[in-house]
Amino acid sequence: MKIEQEKNISFDALVVGGGIAGGEAALNLANTGFKVLLIEKDLSLGGKMIMLSKVFPTLDCAACITTPKVSEIARHSNITIYTSSEVSSISKIAKDNFEAIVIKKPRYVVIEDCTACQLCEEACPISVSDQYQYNMVGRKAAFIPFSIANPKAAAIDIDNCILCGACEKVCPTNCIDFTQETEEYRVSIKTVILATGFKLFDPVLIPRYGYGVYKNVITSMQMERELAPTRPFNTVLRPGDGKVPDKIAYVLCTGSRDATIGNPICSQICCMYSIKQSQLLMGALPMADVTIYYINIRSFGKGFEEFYQQAKGMGVNFVKGKIGKITETEKGNLILRYEDINEGIVKEEEHDMVILSVGALPNQDASKLFKGEELQLDQHKFIYQSDLLGSPSKTSIEGVFVAGTASGPMDIPDSILSAGSASSEAISYLIQNK
Amino acid sequence: MKKKIGVYICHCGGNISDYVDVEKVKQAIENEGGVFLAKTTMFACSDSNQKDMVEDIKNNELDGVIVASCSPKLHLTTFRNVSERGDLNKYSYVHANIREQASWAHSDDKAGATEKAIHIVKAAIAKARLSESLEPNKIVAKKAVAIIGGGVAGMKAAIALSNMDCPVYIIERKYFVGGRVAQWNELFTTNETGKDLVTRLYNDLVKRSNVTIFTGAEVVKNTGSIGDFKLTIKITPRYIKENCNQGRLQEAIDACPVELPDDFNFSITNRKAIYHNFPSEYPQLPVIDIKNCTRCGKCEQICESIDFSQKEENIEIQIGSVLMATGFDPYTPIEGEFGYKEIENVVTLPQFKRMIDMSDKTLTFKGKEIKNIAYIYCVGSRQEERENKYCSRYCCTSAIHEAIIAKKKFTNINNFHFNRGIRAYGKQEILYNESSKMGDIYLQLTEDSPAVVSKNGTKTIVKTNDILTNGREIEVEADLVVLATGMVPRADNSVGSLFKLPKGRDKFFNEIHMKLRPVETFIDGVTISGSCQGPKNIMESINSALSAATKSFSYISKGELETEPIVAVVDSGLCTWCNLCSEACPFDAISMKEEGGKSIAFINNSVCKGCGMCLPVCPTDAIDLIAYSNKEIESMIDALAND
Repeated sequence: MKIEQEKNISFDALVVGGGIAGGEAALNLANTGFKVLLIEKDLSLGGKMIMLSKVFPTLDCAACITTPKVSEIARHSNITIYTSSEVSSISKIAKDNFEAIVIKKPRYVVIEDCTACQLCEEACPISVSDQYQYNMVGRKAAFIPFSIANPKAAAIDIDNCILCGACEKVCPTNCIDFTQETEEYRVSIKTVILATGFKLFDPVLIPRYGYGVYKNVITSMQMERELAPTRPFNTVLRPGDGKVPDKIAYVLCTGSRDATIGNPICSQICCMYSIKQSQLLMGALPMADVTIYYINIRSFGKGFEEFYQQAKGMGVNFVKGKIGKITETEKGNLILRYEDINEGIVKEEEHDMVILSVGALPNQDASKLFKGEELQLDQHKFIYQSDLLGSPSKTSIEGVFVAGTASGPMDIPDSILSAGSASSEAISYLIQNK
Repeated sequence: MKKKIGVYICHCGGNISDYVDVEKVKQAIENEGGVFLAKTTMFACSDSNQKDMVEDIKNNELDGVIVASCSPKLHLTTFRNVSERGDLNKYSYVHANIREQASWAHSDDKAGATEKAIHIVKAAIAKARLSESLEPNKIVAKKAVAIIGGGVAGMKAAIALSNMDCPVYIIERKYFVGGRVAQWNELFTTNETGKDLVTRLYNDLVKRSNVTIFTGAEVVKNTGSIGDFKLTIKITPRYIKENCNQGRLQEAIDACPVELPDDFNFSITNRKAIYHNFPSEYPQLPVIDIKNCTRCGKCEQICESIDFSQKEENIEIQIGSVLMATGFDPYTPIEGEFGYKEIENVVTLPQFKRMIDMSDKTLTFKGKEIKNIAYIYCVGSRQEERENKYCSRYCCTSAIHEAIIAKKKFTNINNFHFNRGIRAYGKQEILYNESSKMGDIYLQLTEDSPAVVSKNGTKTIVKTNDILTNGREIEVEADLVVLATGMVPRADNSVGSLFKLPKGRDKFFNEIHMKLRPVETFIDGVTISGSCQGPKNIMESINSALSAATKSFSYISKGELETEPIVAVVDSGLCTWCNLCSEACPFDAISMKEEGGKSIAFINNSVCKGCGMCLPVCPTDAIDLIAYSNKEIESMIDALAND
């Protein structure tokens, strides 16, 4: 796309990533009086957390924590937010001065004018699968990303749009604008916080689990959506036939602690979110049996072990054994083959729905951003923490700090503390270089 | 009396509306006196609804606002701010909790939950009708922070605050800063030593003019509150002159007849009553442990630097915020727990770390070379019968890491790990893999068949049924048994009581909200960091220390701060100063003052939390609570009791 405009702007800090870590870091900086530019590549702030159901070990609903935080970020006078935007490069041009090129992609909707009335959604003739519901249901090409998105405004998915103009005709505020173009900004900043988050493991890479082939094998993120307040089906059901499941299995360490798929480390969150989901499932489907197949249960944080014991007390069945293979029966049920470690024998067990507890992988996007100086990655391709014990948020480049899961897998409380750490270092850096 | 109240009833995306019929609640209350508009909303806290509320308040000139949703702990501030953005005094906002108090509590009874929600909202309306505009109390904030505890968390927080141009006082109970990390050798996962890390932080600290370090110092008294704490610090002298003659000092130490277990080495060695710091502790100044000194005078005769005339002193500092970084104690096994103190070659993990650090070419214990080492995990953590239910988080990786160090440093070491499922989370998994590759043996046991340590003649035997080999009984003859002891709160955490800091069920200091306010406490102005909040490794402690530093700074950086105007007020005509209110106050906010020739109660507004404990005990009904006056509460009770 042609670049029509180039604009020069300047801020104290650039925060890359508008998830919970980036948001927290931006707020800390803004509350201390610094001007922040927050860049989010998605259509909404809130990252992965805003998509979750409830969060362990307190079982607060994720939306209840995320939405007001996001709202505070969105209206903070010291924070400027660009959604659907990406940083294309960052160069250090002086000791404490960086220049970033930011690409703002067109949304084809004027956010300020959109009232999120959804008439465009109704009018749009194109249906595609909804990435925000992890492809379990469809959405239109003209769509509101999800009900608690921020900004809550429509967007046009131009890759799937047929330019029929139906949305434009029904829009009561004329906010749809197909003439929007990509904008490029040249941003001068003094410090950078990288909060680019993590990626989920794609279980297609383990064909013996049948993900993508067996319809009733889903990922933990899909189950997260089924349990969330903004859930697609308004109840928990298996995608194959819409039946309410009554014998559910969790396969822990899918894509973690597994050198064969290139990820030997533990993802740190899967045990706990699976235990949490199992508790929520016991509440939603009181008659259902839930079994968690595990290598080790790692409930290590504050209140986590107690939460694990609580799940056991509720009747969640914990089986020590790694799943070797999953096969499908004619009815769409699934047979899990595993070694029951406690009994020392290979067993098979039939379940009617399987949830793969997928691990956290590095998002390597940030590594390519820097020109001139190299942003080092660690051996697992997470952002390298150059002073892990003394200053955990420092990276290989002075003045660039890392927050949250960009440096390694971690849960929400740890991400928030890591963001607190990164913003503290950035504030110190800004004050010291005044 | 308010006449234009807006009521918003939240679905909470199903959290409420799955059990409470929110439409029915709306219908039941929309004709209540004073209600101007009533609406339901999917997420009241979402940005779009907040914007709608601001518009509603402005366009309709609402004079009161109610949101019926979750606990006020979560969103009272959110909606007060919404009112403020609508140019309505934020204390005209009243919060009704129909989630924790109705939908979640009565998920088995939808009709009942709806009925209860209606009453809760009606009570809120009754209160809103009587609500009055209030202004927050403004107080001047002292721009200085006291950090209690001079371990790595405290030191790092001090550096951060100093960088933010905020004066800092570090108050360390021991005579040396460095804390637990000073006692550790190589640290996971970088292999930097505890000494390196502490030295780095200390060298950074001492060059800063706005950092004051007190050692041998304890906070003994706290008066005041957020913005203006007045701390009394008791400083015990070292009884040694600052520029002492180091050469003669060693002779003096040698001459001291008192020997006692050395805390630094977890009692595996002894020290004298006069002693020098270890190289990883600072400042590098010797000290006389006056509690254990017999005053025999031998050291004094040898070394002229010794000065028993030094006096304990109390000093007072004024600061705006307190940052707690008091750390943890390693769990001490009870006698006989896995043979501890009954079988001679059973030690704890911290003792083992010290042994490795102090041993050179060979690892020996009580004269015998060590080859087979058995590690028993979860000692003092994940207890079934006793009270430490929690996992201590650092011990799995720490024990594995120490086992690797032992194997690399000494020859012929065999490691046997009796564990309950290894929790080397995240990247620490690599260490677990490394130790497995080095040939360490992992035996896994269940909660109901723990490892048993016993003595067979001269041999120490560790036995378990290993589930990884199908429950087979396996015995290891161990030269040394290492108990991977967990973290417990400091045995003496009395400094927490000075600030009335709440503790969690694990007895560590408790945060307000793990995700929203992880370093703040219910005591305004006091933040918590590091392992005094719960088990953490070093990286995690530093992250929390920096978060706490930023939070403490944010309280005081503007030089002025606002506190809640919802406080108790005394009717001086009715008060007879019987002292019952001040005894009932959990925050020491009430004192006696003289006014008009008589003694009456005086409420310190910046300390009072508006909890209301003083009201019912007052025999003359002289105390009222702003925003929760008898009139308001009675009207709420009427609304709740009416059918």
